[in-house]
Amino acid sequence: MEGKKIVVIATKFGQIEVPEEHIYLFPEGILGFSEIKRYAIVQSPKGGPFQWMHAVESAPLSFVVCDPILFRPDYRIFVRREDIAVIHLDDISKGIVLVIVTIPKDPQEMTANLQGPLLFNPLAKLAKQLVLNDPTYTVRYKIIGRETKGEPDAGSDKTN
Amino acid sequence: MIGDEIEITVVSVKGEKVRLGIKAPGSVSVHRKEVYLAIKEANIEAAQVDAKALESLPDLFKGQGKS
Repeated sequence: MEGKKIVVIATKFGQIEVPEEHIYLFPEGILGFSEIKRYAIVQSPKGGPFQWMHAVESAPLSFVVCDPILFRPDYRIFVRREDIAVIHLDDISKGIVLVIVTIPKDPQEMTANLQGPLLFNPLAKLAKQLVLNDPTYTVRYKIIGRETKGEPDAGSDKTN
Repeated sequence: MIGDEIEITVVSVKGEKVRLGIKAPGSVSVHRKEVYLAIKEANIEAAQVDAKALESLPDLFKGQGKS
Protein backbone atom coordinates (compact mmCIF):
# COMPACT_ATOMS: atom_id res chain seq x y z
CA MET A 1 0.00 0.00 0.00
CA GLU A 2 1.21 3.45 -0.86
CA GLY A 3 1.35 6.26 1.62
CA LYS A 4 1.09 4.04 4.67
CA LYS A 5 1.01 6.45 7.54
CA ILE A 6 3.40 5.88 10.41
CA VAL A 7 2.64 7.20 13.85
CA VAL A 8 5.32 7.76 16.48
CA ILE A 9 4.35 6.76 19.99
CA ALA A 10 6.20 7.45 23.22
CA THR A 11 6.20 4.23 25.23
CA LYS A 12 7.84 2.97 28.39
CA PHE A 13 10.77 1.78 26.32
CA GLY A 14 11.16 4.85 24.19
CA GLN A 15 9.66 5.96 20.94
CA ILE A 16 8.30 3.41 18.55
CA GLU A 17 6.87 3.73 15.07
CA VAL A 18 3.55 2.11 14.38
CA PRO A 19 1.62 1.88 11.11
CA GLU A 20 -1.62 3.79 11.49
CA GLU A 21 -3.64 0.69 10.67
CA HIS A 22 -2.62 -0.81 14.02
CA ILE A 23 -4.27 2.03 15.89
CA TYR A 24 -7.73 1.62 17.35
CA LEU A 25 -10.16 4.18 18.65
CA PHE A 26 -11.95 3.32 21.89
CA PRO A 27 -14.80 5.86 21.72
CA GLU A 28 -15.45 5.34 25.45
CA GLY A 29 -11.86 4.71 26.50
CA ILE A 30 -11.31 1.83 28.91
CA LEU A 31 -12.42 1.82 32.53
CA GLY A 32 -10.22 4.02 34.68
CA PHE A 33 -8.70 5.68 31.61
CA SER A 34 -11.81 7.04 29.95
CA GLU A 35 -10.08 10.15 28.58
CA ILE A 36 -7.59 8.09 26.59
CA LYS A 37 -9.17 6.99 23.35
CA ARG A 38 -6.51 5.76 20.97
CA TYR A 39 -4.29 2.72 21.41
CA ALA A 40 -1.89 0.90 19.14
CA ILE A 41 -1.72 -2.90 19.17
CA VAL A 42 1.92 -3.87 18.73
CA GLN A 43 3.44 -7.30 18.40
CA SER A 44 6.52 -7.73 20.55
CA PRO A 45 9.44 -9.62 18.99
CA LYS A 46 9.88 -11.59 22.20
CA GLY A 47 6.30 -11.51 23.30
CA GLY A 48 5.02 -14.77 21.87
CA PRO A 49 1.26 -14.74 22.20
CA PHE A 50 1.36 -11.47 24.14
CA GLN A 51 1.01 -8.07 22.53
CA TRP A 52 1.41 -4.53 23.74
CA MET A 53 -1.42 -2.06 23.71
CA HIS A 54 0.13 1.42 23.87
CA ALA A 55 -1.78 4.63 24.41
CA VAL A 56 -1.07 6.85 21.42
CA GLU A 57 -1.34 10.41 22.67
CA SER A 58 -0.90 10.19 26.41
CA ALA A 59 2.15 9.95 28.56
CA PRO A 60 3.55 6.41 28.41
CA LEU A 61 0.68 4.11 29.19
CA SER A 62 0.84 0.50 28.12
CA PHE A 63 -1.01 -2.71 28.70
CA VAL A 64 -0.18 -6.29 27.85
CA VAL A 65 -2.98 -8.01 26.00
CA CYS A 66 -3.47 -11.54 24.75
CA ASP A 67 -5.96 -13.85 23.08
CA PRO A 68 -7.87 -15.56 25.92
CA ILE A 69 -8.40 -18.69 23.85
CA LEU A 70 -4.74 -19.57 24.47
CA PHE A 71 -5.32 -20.39 28.08
CA ARG A 72 -9.10 -20.63 28.23
CA PRO A 73 -10.26 -22.46 25.08
CA ASP A 74 -13.82 -22.46 26.33
CA TYR A 75 -13.95 -18.68 26.74
CA ARG A 76 -17.21 -17.36 25.37
CA ILE A 77 -18.64 -13.93 25.88
CA PHE A 78 -22.09 -12.47 25.57
CA VAL A 79 -21.98 -9.34 23.47
CA ARG A 80 -24.83 -6.88 23.69
CA ARG A 81 -26.31 -5.02 20.79
CA GLU A 82 -25.25 -1.68 22.20
CA ASP A 83 -21.66 -2.89 22.50
CA ILE A 84 -21.66 -3.85 18.85
CA ALA A 85 -23.22 -0.51 17.92
CA VAL A 86 -20.43 1.48 19.59
CA ILE A 87 -17.82 -0.15 17.39
CA HIS A 88 -20.01 -0.66 14.29
CA LEU A 89 -19.36 -4.38 14.33
CA ASP A 90 -22.16 -5.51 12.04
CA ASP A 91 -20.65 -8.93 11.52
CA ILE A 92 -19.76 -10.31 14.93
CA SER A 93 -17.62 -13.05 13.40
CA LYS A 94 -15.20 -10.32 12.26
CA GLY A 95 -14.62 -9.15 15.82
CA ILE A 96 -11.42 -9.87 17.72
CA VAL A 97 -11.36 -10.42 21.47
CA LEU A 98 -8.28 -9.73 23.56
CA VAL A 99 -7.96 -9.57 27.32
CA ILE A 100 -5.72 -7.37 29.43
CA VAL A 101 -3.03 -9.23 31.35
CA THR A 102 -1.64 -8.07 34.69
CA ILE A 103 1.98 -9.05 35.21
CA PRO A 104 3.19 -8.67 38.79
CA LYS A 105 6.81 -8.92 39.94
CA ASP A 106 6.56 -12.67 39.87
CA PRO A 107 5.33 -13.35 36.35
CA GLN A 108 4.12 -16.79 37.44
CA GLU A 109 1.37 -14.95 39.20
CA MET A 110 0.11 -13.15 36.15
CA THR A 111 -3.60 -12.86 35.68
CA ALA A 112 -5.98 -12.00 32.88
CA ASN A 113 -9.07 -9.88 33.08
CA LEU A 114 -11.73 -12.17 31.66
CA GLN A 115 -14.60 -10.09 32.95
CA GLY A 116 -13.62 -6.94 31.07
CA PRO A 117 -12.50 -8.19 27.66
CA LEU A 118 -11.65 -5.89 24.78
CA LEU A 119 -13.67 -6.28 21.60
CA PHE A 120 -12.06 -4.96 18.41
CA ASN A 121 -13.54 -4.21 15.03
CA PRO A 122 -10.47 -4.61 12.79
CA LEU A 123 -12.23 -3.16 9.75
CA ALA A 124 -13.47 0.06 11.34
CA LYS A 125 -10.50 0.25 13.76
CA LEU A 126 -12.86 0.69 16.67
CA ALA A 127 -12.77 -1.06 20.03
CA LYS A 128 -14.54 -1.27 23.34
CA GLN A 129 -13.97 -2.75 26.76
CA LEU A 130 -16.94 -4.92 27.63
CA VAL A 131 -18.32 -5.45 31.11
CA LEU A 132 -19.53 -9.01 31.53
CA ASN A 133 -22.10 -9.89 34.12
CA ASP A 134 -21.20 -13.55 33.82
CA PRO A 135 -19.94 -14.59 37.28
CA THR A 136 -17.94 -17.44 35.72
CA TYR A 137 -15.28 -14.96 34.71
CA THR A 138 -13.20 -12.89 37.05
CA VAL A 139 -11.00 -9.84 36.60
CA ARG A 140 -7.99 -11.76 37.93
CA TYR A 141 -7.91 -15.14 36.27
CA LYS A 142 -4.63 -16.85 37.02
CA ILE A 143 -3.06 -17.93 33.74
CA ILE A 144 -0.16 -20.15 34.74
CA GLY A 145 -0.17 -23.27 36.84
CA ARG A 146 -3.70 -24.45 36.29
CA GLU A 147 -4.26 -28.12 35.84
CA THR A 148 -7.94 -28.07 35.14
CA LYS A 149 -9.60 -25.87 32.62
CA GLY A 150 -12.96 -24.29 32.95
CA GLU A 151 -13.17 -24.20 36.71
CA PRO A 152 -12.82 -20.69 38.00
CA ASP A 153 -11.48 -21.74 41.38
CA ALA A 154 -9.32 -24.66 40.38
CA GLY A 155 -5.72 -24.44 41.50
CA SER A 156 -6.17 -21.30 43.55
CA ASP A 157 -4.88 -23.01 46.67
CA LYS A 158 -2.15 -25.06 45.05
CA THR A 159 1.45 -24.07 44.95
CA ASN A 160 2.95 -26.58 42.55
CA MET B 1 -39.68 4.49 36.48
CA ILE B 2 -36.79 6.04 34.61
CA GLY B 3 -38.07 7.21 31.26
CA ASP B 4 -40.67 4.92 29.75
CA GLU B 5 -38.74 1.71 29.79
CA ILE B 6 -36.72 1.30 32.95
CA GLU B 7 -38.54 0.19 36.05
CA ILE B 8 -36.97 -0.02 39.47
CA THR B 9 -38.77 -1.86 42.25
CA VAL B 10 -37.91 -2.65 45.82
CA VAL B 11 -37.84 -6.44 45.97
CA SER B 12 -37.31 -6.78 49.70
CA VAL B 13 -36.18 -4.92 52.78
CA LYS B 14 -34.29 -6.89 55.42
CA GLY B 15 -32.91 -4.85 58.24
CA GLU B 16 -30.61 -2.32 56.58
CA LYS B 17 -30.45 -4.21 53.30
CA VAL B 18 -32.69 -3.23 50.43
CA ARG B 19 -32.82 -5.40 47.33
CA LEU B 20 -33.73 -3.58 44.16
CA GLY B 21 -35.06 -5.10 40.99
CA ILE B 22 -34.34 -3.39 37.69
CA LYS B 23 -36.37 -4.11 34.59
CA ALA B 24 -34.87 -2.67 31.45
CA PRO B 25 -35.02 -3.42 27.74
CA GLY B 26 -32.18 -5.42 26.24
CA SER B 27 -30.60 -2.31 24.77
CA VAL B 28 -29.80 -0.94 28.23
CA SER B 29 -26.91 -2.40 30.15
CA VAL B 30 -27.37 -2.85 33.85
CA HIS B 31 -24.22 -3.68 35.79
CA ARG B 32 -23.36 -3.87 39.40
CA LYS B 33 -21.03 -1.13 40.45
CA GLU B 34 -18.66 -3.68 41.99
CA VAL B 35 -18.04 -5.22 38.58
CA TYR B 36 -17.21 -1.83 37.09
CA LEU B 37 -14.91 -1.02 39.97
CA ALA B 38 -13.20 -4.41 39.81
CA ILE B 39 -12.47 -3.99 36.10
CA LYS B 40 -11.28 -0.44 36.63
CA GLU B 41 -8.92 -1.57 39.41
CA ALA B 42 -7.62 -4.42 37.28
CA ASN B 43 -6.96 -1.98 34.42
CA ILE B 44 -5.04 0.37 36.69
CA GLU B 45 -3.02 -2.52 38.09
CA ALA B 46 -2.29 -3.87 34.61
CA ALA B 47 -0.99 -0.45 33.55
CA GLN B 48 1.87 -0.74 36.09
CA VAL B 49 3.46 -3.31 33.82
CA ASP B 50 7.23 -3.21 33.48
CA ALA B 51 8.66 -2.38 30.06
CA LYS B 52 10.60 -5.65 30.12
CA ALA B 53 7.71 -7.77 31.25
CA LEU B 54 7.26 -9.58 27.95
CA GLU B 55 10.83 -10.75 27.69
CA SER B 56 10.45 -13.59 30.13
CA LEU B 57 6.84 -14.47 29.54
CA PRO B 58 6.79 -16.69 26.47
CA ASP B 59 9.10 -19.21 28.14
CA LEU B 60 6.79 -19.44 31.11
CA PHE B 61 3.90 -19.91 28.82
CA LYS B 62 5.41 -22.88 27.07
CA GLY B 63 4.86 -24.83 30.26
CA GLN B 64 1.14 -24.69 29.58
CA GLY B 65 1.62 -27.20 26.80
CA LYS B 66 -0.96 -25.65 24.50
CA SER B 67 -0.35 -25.53 20.81
